[in-house]
Amino acid sequence: MTTRASLGVVSFSRADVVRFWRQAPASFRIGTAVLAFHIAVAITGPLWAPYGQADLFVGPALAAPGWSHPFGTDVLGRDVFSRVVHGAHLVIVLSVLGTLIGVVVGTTIGLLSAYLRGWFDTLVMRLIETLISIPYLVLALLAVAAAGPEYAGDPVLLVLVVGFVFSPRVARMARAAGLDVVTRDFVTIARLRGESPWSVVVRELLPNATGTLLVEFALRTGYAPVLIGTLGFLGFGLRPPSPEWGLMISEYRNLLLASPFVVLMPGLMLASLIIGLNMWTEGLARILGRSVRYDE
Amino acid sequence: MSSSSGPVARLEGVRLDYRHRDGWLRVLQDVSLDISPGEVVGLVGESGCGKSTLSGLLLGYRHPSARVTNGRAMFEGTDLLKLDRETLDRIRGRRVALIPQNPTTSLNPSMRVGDQIAEVLRFHGVTPSGPATTKRVHEVLESVSLADPSRTARRFPHQLSGGQQQRVTIAMALACNPSLLVLDEPTTGLDVTTQDQILRLLANLRALHGMAMLYVTHDLGVVAQIADRVCVMYAGHVVETASKTVVFDRPRHPYTQGLIASIPRIAEGGARTGLPLKGLLRRSELPRGCPFFPRCDFSRPSCGDTPQRLETIGDEHQVACQRWKDINPDVDSTRVPPQVRPESGPNETLLSLEHVSLRYGRRGPFDKLLGVSAPTVVHDVSLTIGRGEVFALVGESGSGKSTIANAISGLLAPFTGQLRFCDDVLPGTVEERSANLKRRIQYIFQNPDASLNPRARVRSSLARPITKFLSVASSEVGARIATALGEVRIPENYAVRYPDQLSGGERQRVALARALIARPDLLLCDEVLSSLDVSVQASILGLLEALKHDTAVTMLFISHDLAVVRSLADRVAVLFQGHLCEVGDKNLVFAPPFHPYTHSLLQAVPDFGKRARSIDAPEVGASPQAGAACAFVGRCPWQLGNRCVEEPPPWRTSRAGLRIRCHHEPKDLERLANGE
Repeated sequence: MTTRASLGVVSFSRADVVRFWRQAPASFRIGTAVLAFHIAVAITGPLWAPYGQADLFVGPALAAPGWSHPFGTDVLGRDVFSRVVHGAHLVIVLSVLGTLIGVVVGTTIGLLSAYLRGWFDTLVMRLIETLISIPYLVLALLAVAAAGPEYAGDPVLLVLVVGFVFSPRVARMARAAGLDVVTRDFVTIARLRGESPWSVVVRELLPNATGTLLVEFALRTGYAPVLIGTLGFLGFGLRPPSPEWGLMISEYRNLLLASPFVVLMPGLMLASLIIGLNMWTEGLARILGRSVRYDE
Repeated sequence: MSSSSGPVARLEGVRLDYRHRDGWLRVLQDVSLDISPGEVVGLVGESGCGKSTLSGLLLGYRHPSARVTNGRAMFEGTDLLKLDRETLDRIRGRRVALIPQNPTTSLNPSMRVGDQIAEVLRFHGVTPSGPATTKRVHEVLESVSLADPSRTARRFPHQLSGGQQQRVTIAMALACNPSLLVLDEPTTGLDVTTQDQILRLLANLRALHGMAMLYVTHDLGVVAQIADRVCVMYAGHVVETASKTVVFDRPRHPYTQGLIASIPRIAEGGARTGLPLKGLLRRSELPRGCPFFPRCDFSRPSCGDTPQRLETIGDEHQVACQRWKDINPDVDSTRVPPQVRPESGPNETLLSLEHVSLRYGRRGPFDKLLGVSAPTVVHDVSLTIGRGEVFALVGESGSGKSTIANAISGLLAPFTGQLRFCDDVLPGTVEERSANLKRRIQYIFQNPDASLNPRARVRSSLARPITKFLSVASSEVGARIATALGEVRIPENYAVRYPDQLSGGERQRVALARALIARPDLLLCDEVLSSLDVSVQASILGLLEALKHDTAVTMLFISHDLAVVRSLADRVAVLFQGHLCEVGDKNLVFAPPFHPYTHSLLQAVPDFGKRARSIDAPEVGASPQAGAACAFVGRCPWQLGNRCVEEPPPWRTSRAGLRIRCHHEPKDLERLANGE
């Protein structure tokens, strides 16, 4: 009961929501609109996409965009529009799950490290610095290679890789946010009460670091499609015929001159998702940072 | 330039608003104030009354979100509010200068202090050449009694103590010989002894240069010491102005009376006089008429509707209260008799410290190799605290008071010596203590803003100690919380609030409730009143007094405020740089014989009970001598030559039972304290 209350149960009325929307920064509003579009496509896309994601020769190969095939068709006569629509949920689900794992693991490590200090902190932080010093794409490729060929192309592996690559960076942020809270008296009171480190992290540190961590989560979710797309492009992501956007760009890249639309459309979708996520994050950071209370 | 007879600065009916969500919030309401050449005007009021806004106007400063709708701020014949930035820049720093509250943040940490002063001189073109500037810098540094000006000028701010830093900002303000100094709480962050030295310096400088001062403070004791005239503000209104003697002897406005009554006074055995202020200043709930109406004991229904104008009722005495004739100005006649606690016999010892020395930080293998050791913060302290008593630890900042509390609470294991609690050895760290021991010792911190989790409702902050320490059925927790809130006089429905929905005083009450809910035997109160406003302080102090009467809880009360200690404590221990100087019954500590340090502390307390202070009391040395046997050597006015440097002072007991650690016999100390 106590944890629930400490995390806060906030109820909104319609007027609150309207006022919040009006006062929100423009970037937040644009970002929300773009994300809403992407999520809508991701959820409903499979219902209304004209063709299946791997239906071969539904039209002539390499057809130009037209009424029957808005984004044209590829070498195998697959409808690119349908493939892009089918791919929408893949990118979002993989990105969100991967980031979620990274944030949960990173936050736990970072906050514990901030509270315990001492040898635990030193050890964990040196390890994290080592991981961060490796460029994240190289780290991701190493992780995929380490998993072995039998798991290659497995979406679960992709999610774990994203989480693994993100968690050290999140841990550093969480530790910094935690250190800011640890020195405050209410944490000392909790320690004097004999609370376990886990209890202090969950009850005292986490609720006070949510602002930073939420922004961190949103920011990382924006990077995740890039990572997944890049891995797909390099052939370390999902396997064909998956309509994952990065993979599609990779598959079609030699058609760039012959039929630019087949490459351009998945690229545009990926770009708009990333830009939308980034604008939404930036707006969210400003809302959380400006600390104006929306009082009655 | 104004004629010599007119006021140097004058505010005329200033009305100022701040932008506030959708509208404007009135912060100054038709404020008028004159400052004559060479006069020191004290501006007092609780936080949020508009003091700082007003003092800013005298420098031509308005916050970007403020607007002045009426009135003028005249300085030497010109309206500062009409000047452009360039003209203002030529006046500010040269004709009128500000001395800010916090010297640590107002000095540039990356510039030598001499250069910072020279910058002011160069900007205003006061000195013709480089060498002349340097000469002037040394001159002003010398005028603020900083030893060795040429060396001090080359220091960086962090190489100076707080008091020295404040002297530098004073020197900077004086550099161009201004005719008006605006001082915004210049001594608030300083120790009582340092504060005393700064106040004396200001009085000397004023006698020497004859500049006018506006001294803004919430501390009436300080005002009594330095001001000629006092202006009392409440919620943006000037409610009373009068000469210092009149304000303190015959205050007419109920707010002034309440302010004076709210302060525990050291001179009268801690007995409180008059009716202390009730309630809080709430800007959003001001009535149309008198702003003080909701908190006033003398109010009539008509007060809430009729705006009060300043009325002249005597020689230079103005009051904004329509009922001033009915209000008895003799504050002392409404004296509340001090509450006498039934004398308890020799009670059992709850906690004892046996030769405890404390250090921060552990020695790592490298430190051992290099022979580095953390400095000892508390040296060989032995104390006993009896069950049910209020034991006060006093001393200036850095004296090790909080370190001792940390050791008792288990945050810091003793380096040497041991603690005993109810005759059992107290394990050094919290981790080694049983849950029951943790329950029996509870800690309350100074800053109520930091002691409550901002993301937890009051209810969950209070529920945690119940579930952790007491075996109470979950259905009963709510009732326990309600009782605990009732004990600290917080309405039950506040349980669902977050800390940011509470005022500072309410937060401190909740922190107190959280400690009490565990039914502790020992309550560690670390400067619990220091960050609160005068009237809030009075109400919390009242609560602690009630607690002392009604429950058997033992308190270790840590404070630098001797007046508060005198009104609350049973026994007092005085600490100086980690050394215990004097221990004994409250009444014995506050009466001769004194340890030399206790004496200097008591001398430094600004109090309107002892207004006629000699300005030229002997200046005490800034820092004690390192390596001497007695820690107080170097600052001690009664030092016995080399004996104090070479031999550690022994503990001596006076006839009444007061223990003093000094080479002087108690009867000699008594003689010295009486000025014989």
